[in-house]
Amino acid sequence: MAERMQLCNLSENNFEQCTKCSICTTVCPVAAVTTDYPGPKQAGPDGERYRLKDPAYFDKALKLCLNCKRCEVACPSGVHIADIIQHARMRATEGHRASLRDTMLANTDLLGTMANLVAPVANATLGLSPVKMVMHSMMAIDKHRTFPAYSRQKFTTWFKRHAAQSQDAYSNHVSYFHGCYVNYNFPKLGQDLVKLLNAMGYGVHLLDKEQCCGVALIANGLYKQAKRQARTNIASIRTAVNRDHHMVLTTSSSCTFNMRDEYATMLDIDNSDVRDNITLATRFIYNLVDEGKIKLIFKQDYKRRVAYHTACHMQRMGWQLFSIELLRMIPGLDLIELEQECCGISGTYGFKKENYERSQAIGSALFKSIEQAQVEAVATDCETCKWQIEMSTGLPVENPISILADALDVEATRQANGIK
Amino acid sequence: MRMDTVIMGGGLSGLACGIALAKRGKRVAIVASGQSTLLFNGGSMEMLGYVDGKAVTSPLEAIATLPQSHPYSKIGAERIAALSERVKLLFNDSGVNMTGTANANHWRITPMGVAKPAWLTLNDHLRIDDLNNLPAKRLALMCIRGYFDQPNSMMAMGLRNLGFEVKVIEFTTDDISALRRSPSEMRATNLAKRLVSHSALQRIADQINSLAGDADMVLLPSVFGQSDDSDFQSLQSKVNKPLRLIATLPPAVAGMRIQTQLRHYFRMLGGTYLMGDSAVSGTIEGDQLTSITTAKMNDMPLRADNFVLATGSFVSRGLRADYERIYEPVLDLDVDADADREQWTRFGVLEPQAYMRYGVATDEQFRCRKQGKTINNLYAIGSVLSGHDAVKMGDGTGVSLLTALAVNDLIIAKK
Amino acid sequence: MVTEDINNKEYDVIIIGGGATGAGTARDCALRGLKVLLVERNDYSTGATGRNHGLMHSGARYAVTDGESASECISENMILRRIARHCVEETDGLFITLPEDDLQYQRTFVDACERAGIRADIIDPDEARAIEPAVNPALIGAVRVPDAAIDPFRLTVANLLDARLHGADTLNYHEVEGMVINQGRVEGVKLFNKLNGSHVEVRGHVVVNAAGIWGQRIAQLAGVNISMFPARGALLIFGHRVNNMVINRCRKPANADILVPDDTVCVIGTTSDRIPIETVDDMRVTREEVDVLLKEGVKIAPSLATTRIIRAYAGVRPLVASDDDPSGRSISRGIVCLDHAQRDGLEGFITITGGKMMTYRLMGEIATNAVCAKLGNTAPCVTASQPLPGSEEGAPSQDDLTKRYSFGQRAAIGRHGSLAARIEKDNDIDNALVCECEGVTVGEIKYAVHQLHVHNLVNLRRRTRVGMGTCQGKLCSCRAASLMGEFRHDVKGAQEDLAAFLDERWKGVRPVAWGDTLREAQLTSTIYEGLCGLDMAVNMQGKEDVQ
Repeated sequence: MAERMQLCNLSENNFEQCTKCSICTTVCPVAAVTTDYPGPKQAGPDGERYRLKDPAYFDKALKLCLNCKRCEVACPSGVHIADIIQHARMRATEGHRASLRDTMLANTDLLGTMANLVAPVANATLGLSPVKMVMHSMMAIDKHRTFPAYSRQKFTTWFKRHAAQSQDAYSNHVSYFHGCYVNYNFPKLGQDLVKLLNAMGYGVHLLDKEQCCGVALIANGLYKQAKRQARTNIASIRTAVNRDHHMVLTTSSSCTFNMRDEYATMLDIDNSDVRDNITLATRFIYNLVDEGKIKLIFKQDYKRRVAYHTACHMQRMGWQLFSIELLRMIPGLDLIELEQECCGISGTYGFKKENYERSQAIGSALFKSIEQAQVEAVATDCETCKWQIEMSTGLPVENPISILADALDVEATRQANGIK
Repeated sequence: MRMDTVIMGGGLSGLACGIALAKRGKRVAIVASGQSTLLFNGGSMEMLGYVDGKAVTSPLEAIATLPQSHPYSKIGAERIAALSERVKLLFNDSGVNMTGTANANHWRITPMGVAKPAWLTLNDHLRIDDLNNLPAKRLALMCIRGYFDQPNSMMAMGLRNLGFEVKVIEFTTDDISALRRSPSEMRATNLAKRLVSHSALQRIADQINSLAGDADMVLLPSVFGQSDDSDFQSLQSKVNKPLRLIATLPPAVAGMRIQTQLRHYFRMLGGTYLMGDSAVSGTIEGDQLTSITTAKMNDMPLRADNFVLATGSFVSRGLRADYERIYEPVLDLDVDADADREQWTRFGVLEPQAYMRYGVATDEQFRCRKQGKTINNLYAIGSVLSGHDAVKMGDGTGVSLLTALAVNDLIIAKK
Repeated sequence: MVTEDINNKEYDVIIIGGGATGAGTARDCALRGLKVLLVERNDYSTGATGRNHGLMHSGARYAVTDGESASECISENMILRRIARHCVEETDGLFITLPEDDLQYQRTFVDACERAGIRADIIDPDEARAIEPAVNPALIGAVRVPDAAIDPFRLTVANLLDARLHGADTLNYHEVEGMVINQGRVEGVKLFNKLNGSHVEVRGHVVVNAAGIWGQRIAQLAGVNISMFPARGALLIFGHRVNNMVINRCRKPANADILVPDDTVCVIGTTSDRIPIETVDDMRVTREEVDVLLKEGVKIAPSLATTRIIRAYAGVRPLVASDDDPSGRSISRGIVCLDHAQRDGLEGFITITGGKMMTYRLMGEIATNAVCAKLGNTAPCVTASQPLPGSEEGAPSQDDLTKRYSFGQRAAIGRHGSLAARIEKDNDIDNALVCECEGVTVGEIKYAVHQLHVHNLVNLRRRTRVGMGTCQGKLCSCRAASLMGEFRHDVKGAQEDLAAFLDERWKGVRPVAWGDTLREAQLTSTIYEGLCGLDMAVNMQGKEDVQ
């Protein structure tokens, strides 16, 4: 018999490893709230066999998929169910133009740049009722949504003015992919990371050139633009890795997942040489602590009760463990690990008028469990989960990095790590 | 990352072992590659259902007759009696409400209306202790209109064969028929997600109360309560006759509930459950496994004093078969299996299949071997073990639970 | 319409065999106004009809070795594209030359195709790789021909439906156990009804033996001798399509040299082995056959080495020894029509055999001509121009399909063509999917059970594709069995049928039970035996022959 015959099944996205066990259908947040969506099994491996026969079997309802990847996490057979669905959407929308609304939502950095210039006005206008009504009816952005507030000063501006000069003084160095959210909406998270890493003895540097990671572009079918931006980012990351020997850290689970996994699977961009160098800050820090390379000392008087929500893409990466274990190192923090449920926003999905109700229905189980947890704040590694949970529960939502920075005894930590 | 024990596999055996260890204060991580075969469980645990095709009356007695190759023989009948009591406690602590005894099997009713021997069954599911003394005379079998994962007529036929009078009643409510708008998604688990609110349950109770007539017990498909039995209790409180659930085709709500409750309890005990990740390789030094690497943490090996292999059988990919051989995919451990592909299977689908008994080879203490050498800190539990047949002997869940606790004891007893 | 009352009925013609040839003959006879009875001992299309590649030959495969067959093929190929549109997928085919093959043969091949009237375009290997990415990239030559894929189950049923529409009676599960012969003349047949165990005798002026490889036995019952040479061929089904065009090797026909995209799957075949006639009912595929198919198959499409195999099956070609040479050395693949009056002095008996599924219509025409000659019927044959039921104009356009129909409805239109309009789809329950792999709805099952002679789940599978997907019936067979029990008011029977169906599925799975296919099998056993206890509920003895 010929060698290497039938030793494995290697279809694209492992789709033929599906044994039709239907386990994926038990975790799909969309199918749980609407019958318009055929569920991950039908939309994914079942439909794919027919689409291979004839692409006309594509079902428009596939656009209801959140791409939360919970089906992939649950699948005992390693089938990339969500990837199958996303690839089918990609093939079906080739050559189609995205709507103005989708283009606008997807271009988080463009929107951010414009908004930063006029932040006070933008914040006021985007939050204003008549403007919301226009967006609701003309742009189909749901009226219940408030765009996250835009910061007056971009993170990059702050960094150049206040931090860049002092970074070379440290003996270890990392690069930071800040992402759109930190840059335009919430520079504080970036500042917290710098504070934390500096206290550990690590200097922080920006990439030569950073563009939006493109997660929203992919979700909205703007693949060409996503590819261009991905190429730019990977080139910058490559430079940081090869020239500077840096790890590239992020503070967003979505950006991380997108750059590590979706670049290759969705955009066909080879990132294999640098993939392992892109990591979430919490994972990076946990690893250093675990290996005994650094120490973190926390304030004695810090007291807080916080619930941790695992963002979908975080769960897909399987990295929630690092954020949770790091937070558990804070003596005064009472951490509740929430059951793993989708919040329903899925990036820009929940912003669209047609998805609003579904989005809230999907999140309702999570909101209920947050309420029952009786906490002061929620921690999560994803910025869009943050918007959704803040809007839906009224509780503040923070990135674990911010909580760590907040609880950190900076002086004691610096000393413990031998930094003057 | 360093743990006291790392368990590969997050199904019934992995969770049971993880809970037992975490209760003793051990730092435990479970690596679970997706949901487990518990989702094919109809709400019962079986210790030993059949020997040589004949139904077993007393599992504890019958265990003594098993061949030496059976995992139970390695534990010993006496210890199994003690361990079986601890299994009940473990379920109880986890909030899984089950009843039964290892001294005498009761009968569970399968989705096709067949009575099969069982050890423990969820309290809200139908079980019969004595076929000559049925728990009810007249049954109302409530069937959901448009729900096809419950072969109602076969169930009714089976129940009548057991001596019940059965009235088959088809019903639906707005909540249920709304789900049927989906051509594919009217599944037990999706029904259970929708049938949770007070009003949805009340609508079902109204149907039962008006249709059940003179029945003295009402049966419903097991589509209530994915995370505990509170939805069932709520429904029971609205109905004036005793209710019991009957297993459906998978994915099964009962198994999902058991899995959820065990996992929740494990987390509460401080255990780390890595969902959607799987062990891909390990480092063996001398007679010790020092660390394993997982698919998602490829640069960060999990180190531990002890490791437990609870990766399941072929279905769960704990064992793999390819064109040429049968092997254990993480560490290529020694397996008990026929080398010749022709021997793996038999011609008739319902005949006992040889491959069902394949599994990793272990010593008397469930320690694994690689190329004939025992690995002293690597234990195998559950369906990945050789020498038993969950399908034909009805010993799958029992082997999972009892070997899990037996290995827990071995690990705790070390040093 | 499940069982006809055939007692005391007298027919112009009785056709034995419910394969494509029998069905085609029944249709032709009925269209010419004859009173027709067709009988089949098992289900329709259980013999060679349902056990081949599902390839609609262009004839190119035979061009070099058998010009006559090649011409027949291309002519029938063009006819079937018109009359059986809903059974045909116009894929086109490639004949590829690999480095190990002689490229000279390509010229011989193309010339022969031209002589037979088959369009054969030599294309650049690069173009071949572009239009069919699954093809072995090492190829050094490629010829494009009008091969296509055809569904033999649908084709047979469509012929039977049309025959019935024109007054024919058709019965499955009726086995011929004897001939009624009177003074050198066949006057009817003795039948055993396998469904109810009764025996019945039916009269007919002419009896046509269209029983394929089993035709030798039928002829024996009539006291005449035909020497059949059973040639067994095994095939493998892969879980999904890797290719969208038929791929053949451009060389003399050999083992496993054709890969056909059939509906949602693809099929590699065949082996070719002469077997003793006594063994024609043993269709179990051997390990050696699987090995040969794989070894050769990967040369056509390398990805087959890592693609999941869901099933293996085998069929027997009914080859006939020429009357001049009963030793069997000169066997014809061509059509053989024997008028036993001329050949053996037995009146009223005709055998139609040889040929191939591809030329079933022509075989029907030839046989019907012979029947009509005996009966003095002069009506012309119209089967080449009249579309089969399901292939009439008026099927929804592709655009309509995506906009207005659900997945299950679309799949049903793909299977039944315009007849899909008969499937109920006005309520949620009829639209519910029973088989999720293949998109078979409750409505389609109702239609099949009530209108397409379905007695058991295996019949249902042949009519609808229930259980033909990658899970081989794991999810759907219980749902389908339970519906069948309801429709047919026989729950116990449905439960036994379910076990028999799983057993039938397993027969094809077992030879390829490794990898994910073995996982799938274990899960099926876990559900039906472990969870459901089906093995405890049924007795499997004596269930096999009802398939």
